[in-house]
Amino acid sequence: MNESTLFLITFIIYVVSAFFYLIYLFIKREKPAKWGLLTASLGLIIHTAALILRTIESGHAPFTNMYESLSFLAWASVLAYVIIEYKYRINKAGPYFFLIVIAIMAIASSPLMPKEAVPLVPALQSYWLWLHVSVTLLGEAFFSVAFITSALYLFASSKERKGKGTSLSSERLDNISYRCVAVGFPLFTLGGLIFGMIWAYKAWGSYWSWDPKETWSLITWFVFALYLHTRIVMGWRGRRSALIAIIGFLAAMFTYFGVNYLLAGLHSYT
Amino acid sequence: MTDWSSESQMKRLIGFFSSVKLAIALIIIITLVSVLGTLVPQQRSLEEYAEHYGRLSQLLTKSGFTDVYHSWWFIALLVFFSLNIIVCTLKRLSPKLRRAFNPSMEFEPKSLLSMKNKDRFSRKAGLSATQDAVEKELSSRYYRVKTRQKNNRLFFLGRKRIMGLFGSDIVHLGLLVILLGGIISGLAGFRTNLNITEGEILTVPHAEFQLKLDKFNTEYYPDGRIKDWKSTLTVIENEAPIRTQVIEVNHPLSHKGYVFYQSSYGWDWDNPQLEVWAKKSSDPDFLERLDLQLGKPARMDENLTISVLHFIPDFIINENNEITTRSLEPNNPAAFIEGWEGEEKIFSGWIFARYPDFGRIHSEKETDLTFELKDFKALQYSGIQAAKDPGVNFIWAGCTVLMIGLILAFYWPPKEIKAILEESQGRTEVTAGGTSSKNRETFASEFKEFMTSLRRSP
Repeated sequence: MNESTLFLITFIIYVVSAFFYLIYLFIKREKPAKWGLLTASLGLIIHTAALILRTIESGHAPFTNMYESLSFLAWASVLAYVIIEYKYRINKAGPYFFLIVIAIMAIASSPLMPKEAVPLVPALQSYWLWLHVSVTLLGEAFFSVAFITSALYLFASSKERKGKGTSLSSERLDNISYRCVAVGFPLFTLGGLIFGMIWAYKAWGSYWSWDPKETWSLITWFVFALYLHTRIVMGWRGRRSALIAIIGFLAAMFTYFGVNYLLAGLHSYT
Repeated sequence: MTDWSSESQMKRLIGFFSSVKLAIALIIIITLVSVLGTLVPQQRSLEEYAEHYGRLSQLLTKSGFTDVYHSWWFIALLVFFSLNIIVCTLKRLSPKLRRAFNPSMEFEPKSLLSMKNKDRFSRKAGLSATQDAVEKELSSRYYRVKTRQKNNRLFFLGRKRIMGLFGSDIVHLGLLVILLGGIISGLAGFRTNLNITEGEILTVPHAEFQLKLDKFNTEYYPDGRIKDWKSTLTVIENEAPIRTQVIEVNHPLSHKGYVFYQSSYGWDWDNPQLEVWAKKSSDPDFLERLDLQLGKPARMDENLTISVLHFIPDFIINENNEITTRSLEPNNPAAFIEGWEGEEKIFSGWIFARYPDFGRIHSEKETDLTFELKDFKALQYSGIQAAKDPGVNFIWAGCTVLMIGLILAFYWPPKEIKAILEESQGRTEVTAGGTSSKNRETFASEFKEFMTSLRRSP
């Protein structure tokens, strides 16, 4: 059994999980949602094994090229989702969430992403690679759950305004989005900004260079800081909060993805 | 009429900086400006901007948009932002301090019952027995308890995780320390690149010590990719070696506030040592080995002198038909040689180390000599970045404080349980209420549990 086989099995299991959640969405019974969560957890376990195997095969952290880091992002997102789902029961977010996970897995397995493990360039040979990337992506994984619950909030609140009830009330969605940001924000601050600065100082001799990736992670941080301040100090809730959380996630994704392809800088290793 | 006295102006200024709306506006403006700074390439040459933006380039460079993060108006924004954070934080601090260190007791059972979590029951026990039970139940849950007595009434205030009140203030403090560190780095920081060859001793600018490169080597992976660069450096103070350390990427050397990073490497191509072989097409046994240096003619026989005029490590002819080097790596080394007999030039042309048959020798006079560039050597240098950054310690301190603040703000919510006991006719009436600013569900179950065990306690 090698890593690419496990990756493929994981991919299939996530598709099955999304399928269960979709059935739940249409027949509105609890059972398929339970099956969805169960298969997702199974997928998570096999995905973990795939990442461990990748680490052993390549001899370095499993997020040094786009394929690896997309796979890790999908893993972290499913982990975040499973935690939130067990804790707060957000079945309804399941189908949408797993569509995103499948999209990430599909991009990762596209032929455009080189899959072979290449030896690390000197700058990446550091344990800060582990700390910086894993904690940052874990933070972004929670932002991705907040993104889905915020988007669902917008639908649920417009439905409620028309007088229709929903199984997951907009108030709860708003609250869960905040919980996700409350987990994601400290993780992103620690992994993305603080560990990033420490590593930059060790490798490049300067903790901050206004490199586009650095700047965009600061922009992401500012957007979520805005989310927290408008919410806690000015009492914003609901629609406006949800919109800021959505913008924050898009900024995080641009930092992760867009900067590599659209803006050049120090972080462009591959 | 407007009051323009200095005191009221000060008040107006503080009022301006204490507004949360200003904070929100500043966050949005700084974010948008930062986005702009990533869309316009920063710190490039004037020519590049002229080529890219045409007439707009003048406007862009003058307004600072080509170096946003160091422009006066961006720094002004950051100063405004810092002032805003300071005033906002201080303004909210004093009521919090009062709440933390001088909390008010609640003396009315009615107001306890208006709290989010509340409960009331009466038990068949005396006042002091109930007091023991309340104190025990609170302190076993790590609440710190304050008690007051008035006649037959007892008042309790149990609190824990009071530091959580200050989470956001500590985050702001950390952020200010980081900004301060950034200012110090910008003003007092210093950075330079040193190219140093093996055996060379360099004086570090502004420092009272020297640096010697003992050894430099490049390590490769089996497939030929570069694995690492390693420089063995010795610090020399007053002519005496103090310490020796191998530095590599990600592992710098620190000495007296200076940090030395492995940042690049290269060859001193201005002074190469070349070995050129001369052959004769008419005589297969003829072979003459020549050791040549740039600009130093060497005698081949009594009449002929050979000299190297140019050396190029990575020969290429660019689109303007100019000979140039593609990189500083020795990928396609080439030398331009000339042969002279007295005052008369016999031949000249390029010879290539990798392509011996490609040599282009133009003969002015008939000769059957051919030349091959057999070997080339140049001293390799290690590129070392020397940096002194007194701001960096502020940055790490600020980051630590900021992180502690975030954890306090999100995961250390202050909790309060207040209780009032009233004794009448051998029974004690217990009224209790509790609040927590965050994690309300967890606190609600904690409060419930507290009341349940209070009811059960003897």
